[in-house]
Amino acid sequence: MASIQTNVLPKSYTIPSLTQASIAGPSTRRLLPVGPAYISHLRLTIHHDHDFDAHDAHLEKQRQKLEELQNSAANGDDDLGVGDEPESEELLALDPKEWKKHDYYAVLGLSHLRYKANAEQIKIAHRKKVLKHHPDKKVSSTAPQSTSSLLTGVNLNTNDDAFFKCIAKAHEVLTHPEKRSQYDSVDHELMDSQEDDPIPSTFSKTKKSLSDEEFFKTFTHIFERESRFSKKQPVPMLGDIDASKEHVEGFYDFWYNFDSWRSFEWLDKEINEGSDNRDDKRYTEKKNKSERARRKKEDIARLRQLVDLTLSLDPRIKRIKQQEKKTREAKKAAKSAPASGTVTPQKSKAQEEEEKKKKEEEEKAAKADAKKAKAAAANAAKKARRAARVAEEGDVA
Amino acid sequence: MASNTQNGSADPSEEISNLPAVVGINFGNSFASIAVFTKDGQAECIANEDGERQIACALSFFGEEMYIGSPAKAQLVKNSKNTIVGFRNLLGKKFSEITHSQSTTSAPVIQHPDIPDEPAYKVEILQPAPAPLPKSTTGTPAASSAPTPRSEPIPAERILPVSEVTTIFLKSLLQSAEDFLGKRVQGAVITIPSIFTDAQKDALERAAADAGITVYQLLEEPAAVAAVTTAEAWNSTLPTDRTQLIVDVGSSSLSLSLLALREGLAQVLASSSSTTTGGDAIDSKLITFFANEFAKKTKTPLTVCSEKPSTADARAEARLRLAIEHTKRTISASPGAATCSVESLKDGVDFTGTINRLRFDMLVRPIYDSVARSVIDLLATANVDAHQVDEIVYVGGTTCLSGLDEHVGLTGGFNEDINTPFSMGTVIGGGIGDPTTVLARGCALQAALIASLTDEEEELRKAFERGSELTEVKTTSKTLGIVFPDDSGNETGGTWIPLVLAGTTLPARRTATFDIGLSEESKRFAFELWEVSEGIRVEKIKPVQEETPNAEDEDEEEEEEDIEVKHKTITKDSFLGAAEAEAALGIKVKGPSKDAGKWTTTVEATIIVAASGAVDVSVKEIGKDGVVATVKVSAP
Repeated sequence: MASIQTNVLPKSYTIPSLTQASIAGPSTRRLLPVGPAYISHLRLTIHHDHDFDAHDAHLEKQRQKLEELQNSAANGDDDLGVGDEPESEELLALDPKEWKKHDYYAVLGLSHLRYKANAEQIKIAHRKKVLKHHPDKKVSSTAPQSTSSLLTGVNLNTNDDAFFKCIAKAHEVLTHPEKRSQYDSVDHELMDSQEDDPIPSTFSKTKKSLSDEEFFKTFTHIFERESRFSKKQPVPMLGDIDASKEHVEGFYDFWYNFDSWRSFEWLDKEINEGSDNRDDKRYTEKKNKSERARRKKEDIARLRQLVDLTLSLDPRIKRIKQQEKKTREAKKAAKSAPASGTVTPQKSKAQEEEEKKKKEEEEKAAKADAKKAKAAAANAAKKARRAARVAEEGDVA
Repeated sequence: MASNTQNGSADPSEEISNLPAVVGINFGNSFASIAVFTKDGQAECIANEDGERQIACALSFFGEEMYIGSPAKAQLVKNSKNTIVGFRNLLGKKFSEITHSQSTTSAPVIQHPDIPDEPAYKVEILQPAPAPLPKSTTGTPAASSAPTPRSEPIPAERILPVSEVTTIFLKSLLQSAEDFLGKRVQGAVITIPSIFTDAQKDALERAAADAGITVYQLLEEPAAVAAVTTAEAWNSTLPTDRTQLIVDVGSSSLSLSLLALREGLAQVLASSSSTTTGGDAIDSKLITFFANEFAKKTKTPLTVCSEKPSTADARAEARLRLAIEHTKRTISASPGAATCSVESLKDGVDFTGTINRLRFDMLVRPIYDSVARSVIDLLATANVDAHQVDEIVYVGGTTCLSGLDEHVGLTGGFNEDINTPFSMGTVIGGGIGDPTTVLARGCALQAALIASLTDEEEELRKAFERGSELTEVKTTSKTLGIVFPDDSGNETGGTWIPLVLAGTTLPARRTATFDIGLSEESKRFAFELWEVSEGIRVEKIKPVQEETPNAEDEDEEEEEEDIEVKHKTITKDSFLGAAEAEAALGIKVKGPSKDAGKWTTTVEATIIVAASGAVDVSVKEIGKDGVVATVKVSAP
């Protein structure tokens, strides 16, 4: 608040009439040519013609220029789009002991890149965070507060390097290719978004059909998300409504034979290393293994289900089928037309029936295909299980 | 990357390269100092190779050697004939203009044999001998019966014009600065006394150019002080509009300047200088004191500071003069006693004496008195009351004596709480108010400022050259401010808020933020724009302690006799306009304060005085939808 306070204006006050507004003229003096204020005065008189607004504009421009200069100096070397993410209170309060549950990308400030972050970006992000959160730096910056902590009896310094430990852990995991792939397999963000995936029951129950737009909206990003697990790259994407028949067929072909590197070691229960009990260890190991296999199977099934659902809802399949039918009809028509041109309406009825039949057949075939695929998947799962068992037995042996 | 920088690299680190490679040179008659920008971005006075921050302006020739600075000053004892001191004041002067006092303690000033009317110093040196033997083409000198020529240096006389002496000295200063910075100096700002004539400035510029210095500006000493005192680091609690007295006690001169500082712009209100008072006078007093003590203790007669000293006494005097330098520094730094010891002062007798502060202050009281008298005279010529001076700044080693500050403050009749470097505690330990380094630091600041101007602003750079007309400015001749009328019945008829002080450079813009009181029924407020003159009213009141009659006036001050009270007064001269408005954002003060229940609103008053003298005042409520009341006065 301002320090000066004026009194209340008396009610009777009226503005005195201006008798003679004569201001004393300016006098001439000599300034000492010194200091930044003199330079401002010169700018004001030489450049800006005594106009304060122009001078203000100039100063503002200068300030902006300076800011830009500083910014460009700060980002002098290309940080490959790592950028600077805000750190929430929760993030900074992470407990390094709970490291398995951490979101490492968030810890390193890479949550906008996640699995797309390459080694170079991780390196840069790690360096940035270390510079910011190194315990040596913290000690000096929080040193003045030590007195207050003494007063309150709480030692604030104990938690000083907690976040630094988290950073170290995140860096350790993300720079190790195997660990990183394990972590990426069960990335928090991925798990969350998978929960929102559409399941067949939602569509079958409501009998609600999706519009084309909705279809692409829901499924495009799902396949984009899942594509990260493919051992084969590049992965064909869903495409759009006008995609060619080859593309659509190629797409479903790829996704029915999807070869995933996703694994679930990350979710293993920790083996109690300290325990001397060998049986105990083996038991946990065995459990983990079967759990991994179960999860993997589930994942394969989940993806399969997803592709099935997509296929059943894909508007392009219908379109392609119709086109095929049309070409066939056209051929037939071309054949039968010269024979009798008058019976076309009846024929058309018969044709319609035929079409229906064909459609049903085709659908049946598609269903059979799906069934076959499912069976194949089950087989594969069985095989995997068997192989695992064999391996296990081998291990035991 | 790591491999090639493993053992460091020869390139200077980035931090250092960002510092402006400029130097500020305080070039006094007796002492000089240099300042550069150190790593932490501050202007700092640096020491030369001898570890001296106060570099004696002395040059001495002994045999083939040349000494500069304090080693040269030490030569005054036994080699005074070849030692040059006090050359700055002779720079740019003609031989006929110089007052020839036949000084016995330094090299004589003579008429230059070749250049007419040019003063020069005559020193005896030893010239290096010519090469002993002419190189013969055959390689071996021919055998001869003649003795081998001796290769001893030949005694010679050297005539040094004053400008050459200056060049040699400035070059050594530049060398010190470059050694410290580790790179070439781009440019420098050099102080000059206000009394320097154009011819002297020309001569100094030439001498500096010969020494390889790019002179950005020759800065008058008061301006160099202003460069420091207007910087933010000086003291943030002082108002930006203030009157400042600069007391510069050099070793041979006293110069006083009264500056008006208006938001960083400085102008000289009055200045005076005399060559009769100075640190040398204090030295003489001290030398006499110690010489008497010596004579008393050892029964060896010693007369100093007399017209015709004997040779032995002159040498003893020179010894003492060097020794008391240390004594003076001790006295200014610590309140205890200071010693002075000289080995073999006279006839092989050693001397050790002590003096305490009280004794010292008594001894040099005449000099303090003459400084205080000059201050009073200056204020009288400037027609400024001592109470209107907000701040005193000291310059020069002699002003480190805290006794001087006390004496000037008391005798000059200043406010008891006037700001001085001593009251701010910035003298001791090389603080920002250190009188010995303030000039050099001011120059360094100014040099960095000029160096920072880009090439696009060439015309701004030109303005710092000599003879620029841009320093001629228009200023307000009277203080402008606004009155918020009330029925308190004081002399201004309300609350007086000064906006633009007298002597503010035009065009000027000022803003002030304050609360205005409102009544609950009507939110009306009004203000009047007035031109006023400020004065001091001396009021005699009885020594009996009583309530001062005027409670509104907060600036009242009491003289030490407790019977005179000085008030700052405001006399309304001419009414320029008024405006009123209904406040839209009035709020009721809540809480336990005594103002609770009153209505107020916060306003911002902006005044713009154009270069023509036209005034534009607007009082605006701070916040969204605040009302604005304006008064405009056209140019006279």
